[in-house]
Amino acid sequence: MERVVSFVLNGSEMQLRIQDHWTLLHLLREELGLLGTKEGCGSGECGACTVLVDGMAVNSCLYLAAEIEGKTVRTIEGLASPEGTLHPIQKAFVEQGGIQCGFCSPGMILSAKALLDENPAAGEDEIKEAIAGNICRCTGYVQIIESIRSVSSTAQEKVKVVAWQADEED
Amino acid sequence: MNQFHTVGKRIPKLDAMDKATGRSQYIQDLKVPGMLYGKILYSKYPHAKIVHIDTSKAKKLPGVRGVLTGYDIPEIKFGVYKDNRPLKAGKVRSYRDEVAAVAAVDPETAEEAVRLIEVTYEALPGIFDPVAAMREDAPLVHEAHKTNILKMPWKLHYGDVEEAKKKAAYIVEENFSTTWVTHCCLGASGALAWFDYADNLTIYSNTQIPSLAQKDFIDALDAMGIKNRRVRVIKPLLGGGFGSKLDTYAYEYIAILLAHHTRKPVKIVFDRQEEFIATSTRQPTLTRIAQGCDKEGRLLFRDISMILDNGAYTSWGATTPSVMMMPITTLYKVPNVRYEAKCVYTNNTYAQAMRGYGNPQATFAIESSMDMLAEAAGIDRVVFREINANESGYVSPQNFKITTCGLKECIDAVVRELDMDRPKEKGEGVGMASLIHVGGGARVYKSDGCGTIIKVDDFGKVNVFTGASDMGQGADTVIAQIVAEELGLAVDDIHVIHTDTDVCPWDVGAHASRTTFVAGNSALGAAKKIKAQVLEVASRILDTPGDRLVLRDRSICSVEDDTRTMAFGKLLRKAHFSRSGRMLMAEYFYDPANENLGRDFRGNLSMTYTFGVHGVRVKVDEETGKVKILDYVAAHDVGKAINPMLLEGQVYGGVMMGIGYALTEQILSEKGQCMNPNFRDYKILTAKDVVPMKAPVLESSDPDGPFGAKGIGEPGCVPTAPAIANAIYDAVGVRIKDLPMTPERVLAAIRENQGIDLCGIQAGKDPGDACVVEE
Amino acid sequence: MRRFTYMVPKSLDEAISMHMTHGERARYIAGGTDILIKIKEKKVFPDYLISLKHILSPDRPLFNTESGELYIGAFVTHRRIETSKRVQVRYPILHDAVKNIGSVQIRNVATIGGNLVNAVPSADGAAPLIALDARVNVHGPKGERSMDLLRFFLGPGQCDLEPGEILTEIVVPPLLPRTGSAYVKFGRREAMELPLLGVGVVLSLEEDLTTCARARIALGVAAPTPMRPFEAEHFLQGKPLNDQILEEAGKIAARESRVRDSIRGVAWYRREMVGVLVKRMGQKALERVHETQSLHRA
Repeated sequence: MERVVSFVLNGSEMQLRIQDHWTLLHLLREELGLLGTKEGCGSGECGACTVLVDGMAVNSCLYLAAEIEGKTVRTIEGLASPEGTLHPIQKAFVEQGGIQCGFCSPGMILSAKALLDENPAAGEDEIKEAIAGNICRCTGYVQIIESIRSVSSTAQEKVKVVAWQADEED
Repeated sequence: MNQFHTVGKRIPKLDAMDKATGRSQYIQDLKVPGMLYGKILYSKYPHAKIVHIDTSKAKKLPGVRGVLTGYDIPEIKFGVYKDNRPLKAGKVRSYRDEVAAVAAVDPETAEEAVRLIEVTYEALPGIFDPVAAMREDAPLVHEAHKTNILKMPWKLHYGDVEEAKKKAAYIVEENFSTTWVTHCCLGASGALAWFDYADNLTIYSNTQIPSLAQKDFIDALDAMGIKNRRVRVIKPLLGGGFGSKLDTYAYEYIAILLAHHTRKPVKIVFDRQEEFIATSTRQPTLTRIAQGCDKEGRLLFRDISMILDNGAYTSWGATTPSVMMMPITTLYKVPNVRYEAKCVYTNNTYAQAMRGYGNPQATFAIESSMDMLAEAAGIDRVVFREINANESGYVSPQNFKITTCGLKECIDAVVRELDMDRPKEKGEGVGMASLIHVGGGARVYKSDGCGTIIKVDDFGKVNVFTGASDMGQGADTVIAQIVAEELGLAVDDIHVIHTDTDVCPWDVGAHASRTTFVAGNSALGAAKKIKAQVLEVASRILDTPGDRLVLRDRSICSVEDDTRTMAFGKLLRKAHFSRSGRMLMAEYFYDPANENLGRDFRGNLSMTYTFGVHGVRVKVDEETGKVKILDYVAAHDVGKAINPMLLEGQVYGGVMMGIGYALTEQILSEKGQCMNPNFRDYKILTAKDVVPMKAPVLESSDPDGPFGAKGIGEPGCVPTAPAIANAIYDAVGVRIKDLPMTPERVLAAIRENQGIDLCGIQAGKDPGDACVVEE
Repeated sequence: MRRFTYMVPKSLDEAISMHMTHGERARYIAGGTDILIKIKEKKVFPDYLISLKHILSPDRPLFNTESGELYIGAFVTHRRIETSKRVQVRYPILHDAVKNIGSVQIRNVATIGGNLVNAVPSADGAAPLIALDARVNVHGPKGERSMDLLRFFLGPGQCDLEPGEILTEIVVPPLLPRTGSAYVKFGRREAMELPLLGVGVVLSLEEDLTTCARARIALGVAAPTPMRPFEAEHFLQGKPLNDQILEEAGKIAARESRVRDSIRGVAWYRREMVGVLVKRMGQKALERVHETQSLHRA
């Protein structure tokens, strides 16, 4: 019914009593007052609720709060530096038209961060793949993709995706 | 050389930083002390008598503070035809009818209470086909009207179409259909309402029409017996609009009623399923169109009749013909035009405004038919359009006065950028379609105006209070740029407030792509007044005539003498802190000199018109019917791009919405019930569906627009469907006349063309084992 | 969401014993992306959710170089399968399918076992594994058992699991030499799709690199459960593979399919697409055989 979870949230250690049936989204918005993460559909189909858990993008509406024990969670509120400098991805979105109504933006920006942390030289196809689960109705995605590309260290030419895990046998 | 310092620049949207850092608050994020959560019970039938509603169990549930049904509330009528009530009594006419509502201390309790309400219905025969609904023996949706056909005036005839038909060398006639699609705003609908103890109402609502909503709510309060009270409408940040928030909805009235009933603030927010089912759609259309031209390819007539499924209640969908008239009478030069539209009640969902407001539907028929007519006349499709293109100075049969017009230039841009003449590979095709849309306001109401108040403080910072509504499209930023340009300031110095009817002047609403033009001109007018005041003060202080002074770089300085200069803030302080001091403030209400449509629908609806042409190259997979878009060019004549980056955003977003409309999106409705109320089965496009797009911008510099600008919010999704339909025809020789142009439709058409039916049987051949049907 | 108690067993036996204690009131949860939606939509009402995420098990596909078998633990996420280079190279049919399931967010969390156990006809995980002749291992109160994945599905949403049983592992038998494979998830848009149809083909060639030694075809959404069109497979066996033969096999497979109308697509179109896509996936599988052959020679 209830348990205590210890986790790191936006760089700070947390220890909270939570209800078993809470989703991570509910925990963030309703219990911790972090309203930056949005609910767009509640069923993992729009990506507006995307947060990073151990660096991976997940839909917080389908992620149980009970499962964040021992994990690191990052929300949109924790992306800019503690001194107030925007993350390069945030800056790019702001400066290149990646944001219109803004409802999809927190989730979109975090999906982009998950991609670029894993694959800093991501090209256009990899970017589209990474944000395929983030629906946007306003922008038509074009300026979003441009914003993310401008931050990717797009090397001289397109680099094949190197996101492979080394299999143990190899 | 660009003589402007902010106009024409790619300035980031003013609120983008807040949105990028999660600081922005939408209706979903708002909470006030003591707030209750409202939830609505919807009908279980598409058409039924309400026999009895038992709310006793719901009322007894701990945490429930109020339960209302249609029998507990006063008579509040809303909607274009005033045929709608916030909560239904007597009978229900669609699955989205609101039957009861609950306010409780938390959302789970409210949901639980809704489930405890017991409603007894007596099902009635439903009618779901508008054509069938027109028959005399069809079940009546609203008995009091005695017929399902609405009394709407949509009928016009300019010139003499019958005569023109006799003279025409070539005529084509065809039927087209479009179905329900929906806005899919990521931020769903919601409202938060409360009364003070003097019965003044404050309501936060997702609305694009704060001033008109205010009036609707005042009317509602009147019906509730609350007279002469104040109503304050505050718009939280909108998570998208696209026309969905252009009407007042039942849930807003329900929030108000619950707030009054419980004497507490009540918030209602839709979940995604509700957003699909209970918000209004784009207007579906059944269109019959005939067009004819002479031997030289000049259009002689256009004859259109439409049947519109009005659904269970009447919202703006029933007024889309008033906008559809625009492309019907004025897209290309057509001397003889006839148009009639019938709106018919059914037990389906109902439609309201959606980006384009009928223009996409009408343009689909017109521009598809144009290609057909060009082919019949043996004239190249591009040349055919050029022959008939509108030009500056043209006055259409509907009395639309075309001032600036870049249609021909847009045609050229598309042919060039799309490389239309290059040889086609197998399965490839190119197509184009033009658009006309209002670009200088649209006088659809008694006033098309927008008010602006500007206040300048002692530090040279400016507050602009505008009636305009920003919903992400960038109205706030464009207004700031216009004011900054006029006053020689930086955009960062301007704070645009656009959210509160207590603070902001009247505006008819964010629709008809009017905001840049009308609100922009309004802001410019107010800024000019401020500038005049500044020059007056400065001329005294700097001892220089006003006409020898310029405002630039946050200063006022003499044109001739660099040393006669003063910083903006300093000047204001001097003006303020002196004997008979003054503060600089100004207001300006701009109501464009456009016209309401007359009884015969003639009238110059807008001060100027935006033109555009979209061209597309597709590849059709002839085995699967799938259409892949290889290239897309969307050229628009926008007068002046005040903010090219935000403008492109409108075009790209509009085009992707248009491609979805053309190829993948539809509400699947079975006997009035929405079968796909979710993002899984409603096929809104994703980032992986993005197509290569170019958006050339032509600047014809409109004399009436602020810095020459015209509107651009809607054009992006107007000609997308016919451009793609024309490209499909060019590719595989089949004309798809029904939207969306799904792979099934395309494949079925290809097969029909080849003489093969849906079982794979070639006409005239022995079926063999081609088609084994299993029971 | 409705309240429940979340239980976190550390071993399979502990999980099974918890399930047996609470019976109908308990459900297993792996990634959660299916069951949490069902709870939200009020289709199931568990009082207890028994997590399978903390039971020690491999978190990525494992290849046994001696036996040639591929083991995929049921709790491996789709993302781990997607990013496995070995799977991409040797079992492209599985890679093709898995990389398009849901979105990155879903794949990071959803497990292959959960996908199979959910048993929807459109499950993209099922068809490719069936075409690879996969078997599944199940662990339950009465011990372990194993079965062909094809036999695991009983109907839409129903799989062959007794109360308390847990699907623990998928075992893909060694590939025949000269094998290529491909899968297509056929839908209306490029992402976030539940397919209208899923078609997977595995082709193994004789030494002449033309004659078909063995063919496997698996179809999703072409019947109430994932199916193999056996006649089409038999037709291909022993034949020299070219476009006409593949097209004929597609037509046979289309006749064997038991498609129906649904809001996601109509029957006649699905049947047509079975024919077209079996041919195309056959062609792609062939291409891949030749690709790997030339890599070996290089």
